[in-house]
Amino acid sequence: MNMAASLADTTVRPSDWQRTLADAIATGARAVSLHATQHDVRVLIAGPEGEHLFRCPVVDSAAPSLIGVAPSLEWGEREAHDLVGIRFDGHSPLRPLVTHDLDLAAWSTPVHGHGTSQVAVGPIHAGVIESGHFRFHVVGERILHLDVRLFYKHRGLERAAGGMGLTEALPVVQRMCAACAVTNTVAYAHAAEHALGLWPAPDLARARTILLELERIYNHLHDIGQLCAGVGFAPGTMTFLALKERAQRLNQRLTGHRFLFDTVAIGETPFRVDAGTAQAARVELGAIARAAREGWHEVLFNGSVQDRLDDVGIVTREWAKRLGAVGPAARASGVTRDARSESPRLSYAGFTAAAPERGPTGDVKARLDMRAVELWAAFAFLDELLATPLTGGVAVAAHDPAVFGASRVESPRGETACVLERDDGRVGRLHIRTGSNANWRVVAHAAADNLLPDFPLINKSFELCYSCSDR
Amino acid sequence: MFVLLKHLAKLRRDIALPAPHSHGSLAVRHVDAGSCNGCEHELNQAGTPYYDLSRFGISIVASPRHADILLVTGVVTTRMVEPLHRAYSAMPEPRLVAALGDCARGCNILGHGSALIGGVGEVLPVDLVIPGCPPEPEHIASGLLDALARVRPGAS
Repeated sequence: MNMAASLADTTVRPSDWQRTLADAIATGARAVSLHATQHDVRVLIAGPEGEHLFRCPVVDSAAPSLIGVAPSLEWGEREAHDLVGIRFDGHSPLRPLVTHDLDLAAWSTPVHGHGTSQVAVGPIHAGVIESGHFRFHVVGERILHLDVRLFYKHRGLERAAGGMGLTEALPVVQRMCAACAVTNTVAYAHAAEHALGLWPAPDLARARTILLELERIYNHLHDIGQLCAGVGFAPGTMTFLALKERAQRLNQRLTGHRFLFDTVAIGETPFRVDAGTAQAARVELGAIARAAREGWHEVLFNGSVQDRLDDVGIVTREWAKRLGAVGPAARASGVTRDARSESPRLSYAGFTAAAPERGPTGDVKARLDMRAVELWAAFAFLDELLATPLTGGVAVAAHDPAVFGASRVESPRGETACVLERDDGRVGRLHIRTGSNANWRVVAHAAADNLLPDFPLINKSFELCYSCSDR
Repeated sequence: MFVLLKHLAKLRRDIALPAPHSHGSLAVRHVDAGSCNGCEHELNQAGTPYYDLSRFGISIVASPRHADILLVTGVVTTRMVEPLHRAYSAMPEPRLVAALGDCARGCNILGHGSALIGGVGEVLPVDLVIPGCPPEPEHIASGLLDALARVRPGAS
């Protein structure tokens, strides 16, 4: 992999668009994200040679659809249709995704037959949950199909970032999602540095890696707690959310913010840790890890919890690949891919993707297990990363600047991909396809054939953000 | 596991919240009008052992019909303004509205894009504001204790 080089960028004629992408995928590459402007459709692919941006000119507001070649790009095309007005020839029916002022029939899947009915949930949910709508097509309590309708929280943040200075846009990117703030800002900073021809020196890479793993720890503790809530196991919920509290207080001591806000910059880092603070952080992380292992032991050996997890919400390896699943959810289905093992801009040398302890069964149990194995790895990893103090770090000139930059960073929910088109020192077009955005379709797939009362559990086993999907 | 729960009293000594009242309650309905999920995380944390809102008689209720106060997070998006209105109209009177976090209280952190209406005050009468980006659980708890004092009969 040629690491320190500007982004490969190829423009393809519409007549060659599908074949070119099919050829790239046949050679082992993967379609990561799709977005559009009024002038072209852009697809980021990742393969053995690294990232590659393919662009197809838009002719008469239309472009050929890629969903036959790469089904994971379905939401990308629907979003590009609603936000930019592109028609995708061959994408039929092209249902609205971001546009909301349409009848039910326009966006939901028609389901007919004896005894079928619909259950509408949201956008406002019963608990303290983000806004989004689920429309279940059911027979009795069995889910036939789930239409997920999100984008209630669409704030137009990518558009808002357009025209801002590269640094000025950071607070906007950060507020796409508090729980993934570090991932999203690191992905954006990497893309900006890529476009500027910069490469992070080891100290900068280490600073960002520490922040990413701190983010992973409090999120995974949260997810285990929420999954316990999904089966009504309050002691587990309270234990893991109390440990999350400790992790967030540590975040505050290290960075001044419980969600690690304002810790990522372009070309440098404001994050410093002196030797005493680093040592104290290692001690606290060790204590949280021990308590989490004790809590996990209780969850693992609690029959009433475990009985709910087996064979619920299964996503097979084939479907995980087809739908473009990422993160712990993909690994739970046996797709052993983790963007951390392909992150030369970060301190992940020698990293290998984890697998669920009790096998990649693709069900709620496997997704829960993934959180635990990744937690133990993150604690061990942070202990090493914090062994020496952090005194700053910069990015240095490494290759020619370019208009485009791209990046992939592993969030607690999976690979987040950023493509930035630079307009000199400003943001031209920004696109961030977050781990949550990639996995929402997988949630809908996992729900089918299951019982409606198991949906909260299935949903919490993914624990996706609505905010960084909707942006 | 439950060692943690035995040490609740010790945990709570860290928190600068008053001792619980012997009476009064506050039923809270939360609506996310377009947040970044930070306020939701912190509101959830306010219910966990360190803060434990339920010991003050403060609970999150599933329906606006049961609620004393509507707790709104996020900048109001064009797609959430109608659900927000419907939740508010479903509440019995007297009712309070609280804006939780800097987006909800109209700080224009995200600008004035066409997908945004603005702070909650653009849409509903706001009685109480809890600032922060996001507000820390302790501040959420003390904000809700202020609201509890308002709805408690005979409160000063």
